[in-house]
Amino acid sequence: MIELFHLSKNFGNFPAVKDVTLQIPRGEIFGFLGPNGAGKTTTIRMMAGLMKPTSGRVFLDGKDVLRQPEEAKSILGFIPDRPYLYEKLTGQEFLEFIADLRGLEAGNSQQKKIGELLNFFDLQGWSQELVESYSHGMRQRLVIAAALLPRPKVLIIDEPMVGLDPKGTRLVKGLFRDLAHKGVAIFMSTHTLELAEEVCQRIGIINEGKVIALGNMQELREKAKTTDARLESLFLKLTGEEEAEELLG
Amino acid sequence: MNRVLTKAWPILLRPQIMGLTNHWRHPEKGSLWKPLILACLAVGFWALTFFVFQRVLLYFRSVELFGDLLASKLMAMMLLTFFSILLFSNMISSLSTFFLSEDLHLVLSCPVSFNRLYYARLTETAIHSSWMVLLFGLPVFFAYGWVYRSSLDYYLVLIGTLIPFLIIPAALGTLFSMILVNIFPARRTKEILFLLSISLVIGLYFLLRFLQPERLVNPESFAGLVEYFIALNTPSWPFLPSFWATESLLPFYQGNQASSSFFLGLLWSTAAAMVVLGNWASRVLFFDGWNKSQEARRARLTQSPFVNRLIQKISRPLDPRMKALATKDFKSFFRDTTQWSQLILLSALVVVYLYNFSVLPLDKSPLPTFFLQNLLSFLNMGLAGFVLAAVAGRFVFPAVSLEGSSFWIIRSSPVSLRSFLRSKFWMSLLPLLILAEVLIFLSNYFLRVSPFMMILSAVTIFFMTFGIVSLGIGVGAIYPRFRVENAAQIASGFGGFFYMILSMLFIGGIVILEAGPVYTIFMAEFHHRALSFWEWTGIALSFAGVAVLMGVAVIVPMRMGLKKISARDF
Repeated sequence: MIELFHLSKNFGNFPAVKDVTLQIPRGEIFGFLGPNGAGKTTTIRMMAGLMKPTSGRVFLDGKDVLRQPEEAKSILGFIPDRPYLYEKLTGQEFLEFIADLRGLEAGNSQQKKIGELLNFFDLQGWSQELVESYSHGMRQRLVIAAALLPRPKVLIIDEPMVGLDPKGTRLVKGLFRDLAHKGVAIFMSTHTLELAEEVCQRIGIINEGKVIALGNMQELREKAKTTDARLESLFLKLTGEEEAEELLG
Repeated sequence: MNRVLTKAWPILLRPQIMGLTNHWRHPEKGSLWKPLILACLAVGFWALTFFVFQRVLLYFRSVELFGDLLASKLMAMMLLTFFSILLFSNMISSLSTFFLSEDLHLVLSCPVSFNRLYYARLTETAIHSSWMVLLFGLPVFFAYGWVYRSSLDYYLVLIGTLIPFLIIPAALGTLFSMILVNIFPARRTKEILFLLSISLVIGLYFLLRFLQPERLVNPESFAGLVEYFIALNTPSWPFLPSFWATESLLPFYQGNQASSSFFLGLLWSTAAAMVVLGNWASRVLFFDGWNKSQEARRARLTQSPFVNRLIQKISRPLDPRMKALATKDFKSFFRDTTQWSQLILLSALVVVYLYNFSVLPLDKSPLPTFFLQNLLSFLNMGLAGFVLAAVAGRFVFPAVSLEGSSFWIIRSSPVSLRSFLRSKFWMSLLPLLILAEVLIFLSNYFLRVSPFMMILSAVTIFFMTFGIVSLGIGVGAIYPRFRVENAAQIASGFGGFFYMILSMLFIGGIVILEAGPVYTIFMAEFHHRALSFWEWTGIALSFAGVAVLMGVAVIVPMRMGLKKISARDF
């Protein structure tokens, strides 16, 4: 369960996120959409404990990220938008490091789990290479593997498909559905509207720091006062970018 | 078309120039006084170098028959040294500018001819590699002009000499690195060159130290040194640009009849030829080398089962999370040549430091040996502290910043920042404690000090190291630099400078606080008398002050660092 209560963040005088309140229950895949600079990444960074909110609170499975950071983060899997990793570790060593950092029991079971994840993400052949030699897509797959290693109850993802090839994209879609089926709450920010439409049960649209629409596809259609079935049209209408599109002809 | 494009090559330097301009136009908040401090330091350095060389040259001039010869030999040696350093530094720099820079992907995807790229990158390489040599060299050249009362011609010829003198190693270094990259992958070549240049620096350092320049002030050994200088043939090899530069400058400061125009002509024609040759070679070698530089590589030594077992054994007593951080830091350190190779420099520093103590002529001093030994031992505590602070400035202060953009991994994992900083503290403390005790024990052994002084030094430096490490980690967390491309840049910023100042104050404070009681105890021992009540009280108060200062240095920086880094958005 993910809960955001009146979450706000100001950078100096600029309000990047304004009073965001959301609840994502167990087993739900929630899509968080918005134009560039709308406040998606800032919201996600506050949820993952990388940024301190100006006001408001974030709870992951009932644990306050700001006041009980270690407890909250122990059930969290986080996938950032840019997969910066330790360049001088091999893929295998990176996963071992994450396992130890998250307090997973060392030994055969840890090695088995790491092996399974490397296999699943097609990284077995690269596991002994330094991360500095990985492509963007391989880094992204390694980060997803690392996020799944401690069997998280909450998964927060910023742009999951960047750099992934069609096979990787399909793999990840299936994985998210499977995780949600097992009760994991997934919060996902993305610009890939087809992905959001395909896998998310509910969608929130943020614009200029405020959540302007929230609900399933039908509820969004009602909010946008349109019968158009496509999320793309709804998104453009709700974020006021339809006019810009018309200008482009 | 190609002609037009070639003419327009300076446009490729625009991002660098604009980046620099914007840096000055939009300074970071509170950073206005940083350049001011750096400018003061640079002026101070220039003044000091000028003063030292001016004294040396005046001294040489006062030596009949040999004086001018010594001055020209010194100039030749200096230019030869500059030339070697320039060659190496251009080779390393050109690997980055031509093959490893991030912006190459963008530039190469644009309709940019290899000619334009070559000229732009060569200029960038030459500037990167030469500014430091210019900074070191100019006050020396000015000192020559000053001492020999040279006319304006000397300074004009100096400019005319230095420009081709900087271009030749830039073009030559770039050519070498293009050939090397076609044989080895660029990253491996960079490491090999980096190691070679470190060996060169160490070689020069040892050479200068073991020449025992202090003998210059000893008239008994001076005659031998003059002979040595005269016997030096290497700088006179006539095919080296450094020789041509020496010969073109010589008539203008020593006023003899030799003409410099021939050597100036040689310098300029060689520089032009090297640039043209380099350009031709780059058309053949650059693109293949660039392709090779994209290759991956494996970790070698630190991935061997033996090393892994060793790391496991050493880190066994640690808490699993601390163990994970320590193992990661250890492997990252030993896989980064720019990091571990500095240990070689550090070893050279320690060897020369100890060598200095082993050659001290204690018996020739007018002071009583017992007194001098213990005085030096006391001063050595401070000196060793400064050495430790310098080492910590390089290895401990950057520890937090080295997490770089990957710091999100720590921040989003269930590890408190307190544990993270503590792990960095303990990881840094252990090797530094070993270094500190080795330095103190061996230098005191060479000084043959009293057991009291040996114990006092060992205990003081032991606790002082805790303070130095805590200051390094704490200030490093207050002023982290997560986004630098090269680890060596971390310590060169304002935070590194601030850390060094605080460390100096801390070490100075400890030495001053201990000086009183040590002096009292020695004087009592020297005069064979017992200490009075008030003397004991003074001693107790001083040592209490030392304890308080050490406590503050250990606790306060770590707390402030934790507070700052916790409040920092990432």
